[in-house]
Amino acid sequence: MSGWSQFKAILRKDLIRELRTRDMLVSMILFVLLAMIIFHYAFTVKEGADLTYFTGGMLWVTFIFAMLLGLNRSFAQEKDEHCLDGLLLCPVDRVTIFFAKTAGNLVFLLIIQAVAVPVFALFFIERNFLGDLLPFLIVLALADLGICALGTLLATISMNTRSRDLLLPILLLPLIVPVLIAATGATTLIFAEGASFGSLVARLLLLLGFDAVFLVAAWGTYDFAIGE
Amino acid sequence: MKKLLSAPALFIWASVLLIVGILLAFWYSPIDASSMGFSQKIFYYHVPIASAAFVAFGVAFVAAIAYLRTQDLKWDRLGYVGVRIGLLFSILVMATGMIWGKAAWGVWWAWEPRLTTYLLACFLYAAYWVLRSVVDEEDRRATYAAVFAIIAFIDVPITFFATRFLPEGLHPVVVGPGGGGMEGSIAVSFAICMVGMLLLMAAIIRRDYEIELIRDRVTDLKTSLGG
Repeated sequence: MSGWSQFKAILRKDLIRELRTRDMLVSMILFVLLAMIIFHYAFTVKEGADLTYFTGGMLWVTFIFAMLLGLNRSFAQEKDEHCLDGLLLCPVDRVTIFFAKTAGNLVFLLIIQAVAVPVFALFFIERNFLGDLLPFLIVLALADLGICALGTLLATISMNTRSRDLLLPILLLPLIVPVLIAATGATTLIFAEGASFGSLVARLLLLLGFDAVFLVAAWGTYDFAIGE
Repeated sequence: MKKLLSAPALFIWASVLLIVGILLAFWYSPIDASSMGFSQKIFYYHVPIASAAFVAFGVAFVAAIAYLRTQDLKWDRLGYVGVRIGLLFSILVMATGMIWGKAAWGVWWAWEPRLTTYLLACFLYAAYWVLRSVVDEEDRRATYAAVFAIIAFIDVPITFFATRFLPEGLHPVVVGPGGGGMEGSIAVSFAICMVGMLLLMAAIIRRDYEIELIRDRVTDLKTSLGG
């Protein structure tokens, strides 16, 4: 089997497993929707308060916490059912496993966002940002990729430790602060003022650089992270 | 040569330079003419400590790569010591930075990019600490710690860029001193303090590293004696 078909096979396995049970996706979507309600009451300090400049932050905090839930879940299953041991016994390049797992997590995050963003826009955004949909989607894709790549690498490490899911947020959150800064800034600008190329370009470049650097770093270290 | 670079010798070099540097900073270098005034003196400690912290994390980064390549546990010990000393110096950076902030801007804490970066570095390397404590197997702990040390060290400059350049337009970036050139009499004291602080860091790392190696030998000897 070539690397590409191995990649597809692992990704397919992850998607099928999730679509059969749907327990991870359903809980993540419910979590995201609940978070919005909580944010609404947490930030509306008085009747009719303007939340426009909080929207980017609210959205990304929600996505990052939802992703933490999902990452823990996806690897807990692998570990408990000894699926990962089976994968490691196969003659598959470890890096292929990494890219397939990252792609799987990315797909789940995108599904959640496809549900969450319209609801979020309905709840919080007064401005019609359909004209800025393309830059918004680019921001989503770039930030998601960085979060998923690093998240997959660190979830692989944390599931093999004694504290498992407790460890992942401590490892992941300080690392993705740059993504959070860039994505929140860009998203808030799009929601509040409309995207102009000049205001977004620095943030997009940072996201792009972050993704590139950490995909390479994960590619170089995943062999060690996943263990024998 | 070897003797000149031993941990005790490094400690002596460092203390001589740091004492000379601090005397020069207070009695030879002029009081800052700009708005900083006398509080600028902390610059002679604060900036060298920050550089030392960064270099210590750099040591841990290089040691991590060396460990992954060789699987030799001595590199793991060096990386561990590097992170520990880097963390110690980072906390000092924030302490001196806060004192400076109080004098220069009137507040104990400002979300200034450099200060924020060191704060995040503290959290990152504290996570490294937690990670080490929850893995029991020796080799596995060393491997995970090395992977995380590499990722963390790459992340620090990106965090700095993000905090320094991105919030522009949303809120102003506070620019600290050190942007312009340095006067000769300031530069001399500063350079001496810088070298002294780096030597102090090297001395502590070297001493702690040797202690770790001795500890390993004791463990080995105990095991071989059947204890």
